[in-house]
Amino acid sequence: MDMAGGSHMLPVVIVGGGPVGLTLAALLGQQGIPATVIEADEGYCTGSRAICISRRSLEILGWAGIDRPVLDKGLGWTEGRSFYGTREVLRFRMPSEPGDRFPPMVNIQQYYVEQHAHEAALRAGATVEWSTRLVGLHRHADHVEVEIQGAGGPPRPLRAAWVVACDGGRSTVRDLLDLRLEGVQYDGRYVIVDIEQETTRPVERLAWFDPPSNPGSTILMHRQPDNVWRIDYQLRDDEDPEEAVRPEQVLPRVRSHLEMIGETAPWKPLWISVYNAKCLTLGGYRHGRVLFAGDAAHLVPIFGVRGLNSGLDDAGNLAWKLARVLDGRAGEDLLDSYSEERLAAARENIAYGAKSTEFMAPPSFAFRLMRDAALRLALEDAAVRSLINPRQSVPVRYPAAPGLGADPDAARLGAAAAPGLPAPDAPIASTEGHKHLSELFGRGFVLLRFGTSEIPFPPAPDGVTVLTLLPPGASPCPGCPADVEGQARQRYGALSGAAWLIRPDGYVLARWAEPDPSAVAAVLERHLGTAAHTLLRETA
Amino acid sequence: MHAEDLDRSYTALCQALERVGEGKAPLLLAMVSLALIARQASAEDVLPLIAQAAASIGEGPTPE
Repeated sequence: MDMAGGSHMLPVVIVGGGPVGLTLAALLGQQGIPATVIEADEGYCTGSRAICISRRSLEILGWAGIDRPVLDKGLGWTEGRSFYGTREVLRFRMPSEPGDRFPPMVNIQQYYVEQHAHEAALRAGATVEWSTRLVGLHRHADHVEVEIQGAGGPPRPLRAAWVVACDGGRSTVRDLLDLRLEGVQYDGRYVIVDIEQETTRPVERLAWFDPPSNPGSTILMHRQPDNVWRIDYQLRDDEDPEEAVRPEQVLPRVRSHLEMIGETAPWKPLWISVYNAKCLTLGGYRHGRVLFAGDAAHLVPIFGVRGLNSGLDDAGNLAWKLARVLDGRAGEDLLDSYSEERLAAARENIAYGAKSTEFMAPPSFAFRLMRDAALRLALEDAAVRSLINPRQSVPVRYPAAPGLGADPDAARLGAAAAPGLPAPDAPIASTEGHKHLSELFGRGFVLLRFGTSEIPFPPAPDGVTVLTLLPPGASPCPGCPADVEGQARQRYGALSGAAWLIRPDGYVLARWAEPDPSAVAAVLERHLGTAAHTLLRETA
Repeated sequence: MHAEDLDRSYTALCQALERVGEGKAPLLLAMVSLALIARQASAEDVLPLIAQAAASIGEGPTPE
């Protein structure tokens, strides 16, 4: 390891080797940037922790090449049911169609995701140092000096062009920079229990309000791989959380509920933890050359599974931008757009998370009264059942990028795939066989054209892959896959000749009914900003 | 009513109940109910809802 006085400058130090930090390292590696990850713990997390991986997160993991192992190990699901007492009051189904690349949600223990992300990061050239803490951090105009300390060793200095804090809810980076999270912390507490038990039930989200097994409480159940159930239950306000996680407190409640639902196979507890809902965020995620991602940047309630999923979206948004700033293809302002976009996403996630929390763990007599009224009515009255829906994580629309200009052809192209939205996925037939559009995202920009034959587009702006999507039934050629059943045309609202410019993170940057190369180049230039001269290429 | 509008109205009512406090909550709920009743086309739209709510409270499980 080089000393701070030497000329060697690391491109990126990622503080925190959880799922967000390791995925970010893997994605940066795919973009040609070898990141250095330091993690205070000696290995992967204990306990299942964040278990619901969204379809959008699977796309992001796909850019790192680890969607397959997560999907193969995980349990996909589409539906959920909620009960009041023992009677069903809601059955929801997340959008899902035959031919989709991924199910809407996959359950898998967090340590498996960490393992796959770690292996992908190493394959992509990253360095990961376990049992290594951050003990100091000093910001300079053109670099950051960090002091790290391995187990039992002396502190060591490192120099990095950029530091990304992925060190979780109790972020050391946040403390060292004297930054505070702002927002609301709810009082209501939930106990989280993993048990091992064989079951033949379908994989779905199950929720009980006021079940006879635990009167007055709310209980959630999710299946995980390896015959594991995640059971979450709400504590009464007068219960001491430390007392409440003792096995003699937890196991009778779990037993009672398993008996109620008829799960009679032998079982044993694996992990017990306690949780309370927080809606907190930093005011911005870029502080000079220090960036924040995941729980270090924002904490959202677990209801709706927006925690890890939003952290992975942070990594997906940041990796390509940081890579382009580092190698001089983009100006530093591009990183301000990371902060703006992901802060907007955090605020939306917090708003939805707060609503879910107010229903799952009512913070006052008023929310409790109305919640009980809604549940009681829902037994007979379908009109109120949407209030019970847990509002599962969905990709967030980004605010219009400043300086990007209007969406000139909005009237002709419709609202479906507008700038700021994730580019819709669809099955395609390519020369390499059956694929999905989203497999083409994740590296560089894509200009996706819709045409009846390959449309020449010379010259393609630098760093942009031009694809023509042919109509269903057409024979694909290199650079021109075919729409399988017209889903892409339908989901984009595409006219023949129209084009979508899609960012490396799969978001629509701009679209045109009749694009010309100069308009595409101008949008790219404005979005990427003026490339600053970086010292990295010379010193790396 | 669209789910988002239902959700917004629900939360606004919760927040109004919090502001007036638990003691005055029944009065607030009665006023909102009456205002909504007055906007229905006829009593035929309202009476079944009243009967259903009363039956549910009388016959369903008791909270707490």
